[in-house]
Amino acid sequence: MTQRLVILWAVLLAASASCVAAASPGAPLVLGIASAQTLNGVAGDYVTVAARIENTSDQAVSDVTTYLSLVNTADKLPVDLEDWSAEKGLYVGVIESGQALPLDWKIHFVKPGHYALTVVALVAGREMPAVSPVVYFRVEPKNSLDPGHILPVALGMPVVLGLLLLLLNYRRRTRP
Amino acid sequence: MIRLIWAKEVRAELYTWRSALWLLLASLIFSFTSYLLLTNKELTLLDQTELLWLLGKIIVGTALLMVTIDASSILTSEFEHHTAESLFIAPIRLRDLVIGKFLASLTLWGALYVVAVPYMIVAAAGTRLAPAFLGYVALLGTLGVAAMVLLALGIAFLFRSSKNALTTTLVVLLGLTVPALFTSALKSGFVARVFERINPVDSIFAALDNVLVDYQLSPLQNGRFLLPLAGFLAAAFAFAVFAAWRFERQGIVRSGS
Repeated sequence: MTQRLVILWAVLLAASASCVAAASPGAPLVLGIASAQTLNGVAGDYVTVAARIENTSDQAVSDVTTYLSLVNTADKLPVDLEDWSAEKGLYVGVIESGQALPLDWKIHFVKPGHYALTVVALVAGREMPAVSPVVYFRVEPKNSLDPGHILPVALGMPVVLGLLLLLLNYRRRTRP
Repeated sequence: MIRLIWAKEVRAELYTWRSALWLLLASLIFSFTSYLLLTNKELTLLDQTELLWLLGKIIVGTALLMVTIDASSILTSEFEHHTAESLFIAPIRLRDLVIGKFLASLTLWGALYVVAVPYMIVAAAGTRLAPAFLGYVALLGTLGVAAMVLLALGIAFLFRSSKNALTTTLVVLLGLTVPALFTSALKSGFVARVFERINPVDSIFAALDNVLVDYQLSPLQNGRFLLPLAGFLAAAFAFAVFAAWRFERQGIVRSGS
């Protein structure tokens, strides 16, 4: 009798375990960042954020979509990714148990400022997404022209020309 | 004789401060543009080559406008100041007169180009594009300005009035320039694409883009832009010759008027 109860308990336990796995398909996905945690650059530069997604569960996870989330930390506002990345999201599909996949995102530094980027993985049917550690961007402003060079010309040329015209006028008036 | 006419016109154009004020205004336009390119946050995000392209377009555009206005009145002023009669009675060939005035107008372009050189050199600092930038602005500007001057002289011969000649020439220039400023979406139609291929102003802007942004530096790589420009110059020359011939046939006082 006791032996039968143990077998029944074991069968129920196994059944309940399989029900949990079905209800939350795929045990935890782990998102990591392989590139530097802080990326510096000048507006206009391109950098690559190398992320890695790994299925640490013992079952395959299907319907995985990854996307980027970018926040301007100074303004405390999310940033529209329109010009920052050609690929806003990436549908991964199925990740086998124990499988790890690289996710490389080419990022265009559009505006100077301080930003925080995370990679988010959403699994259909799961309530909680997996989120990577934060990658910080420090984007310096870009001056396409060197102000130290152009300003003397921009200010100097009209002044020189003006003086030249005044001199011409003076010479013309004083000439006998 | 050509040299005398050229010298007289250039002296009249550049000798007094009032007549040369446009040169100062042109330098202010270039200074203002350079300042904007430096300080405007959106513009400074552009590649340096695109800034050069923008500056090149502004230099050539300013030259086309200013020299065209000048060329429209350089001949008609003789009629309006009643100096035409004595001029044509004098032993001056019409050909010499036209060439002298044509060269005087081109000299104004030369003066404007000299003013623009420091801006171009400084703007191109850090790139290896300075010689190409200077060379192509000179080449494209000279072709475009020469064609517009010939066109303006031809129109002046036909109208003999500054007001009419200036208005007509400016409308022609506007008709060529405005479509060149359209976005590529507006140029997608068949007619727009054909006009784009033959429009000299479009050719100037596209050649500058090809050289400065796409690094196509050799004249052969820009042949498809230089050819329409050369064609426009040839057409303008033929028009000026025809108008001068017609003027000579009609005489100073139009027969029948």
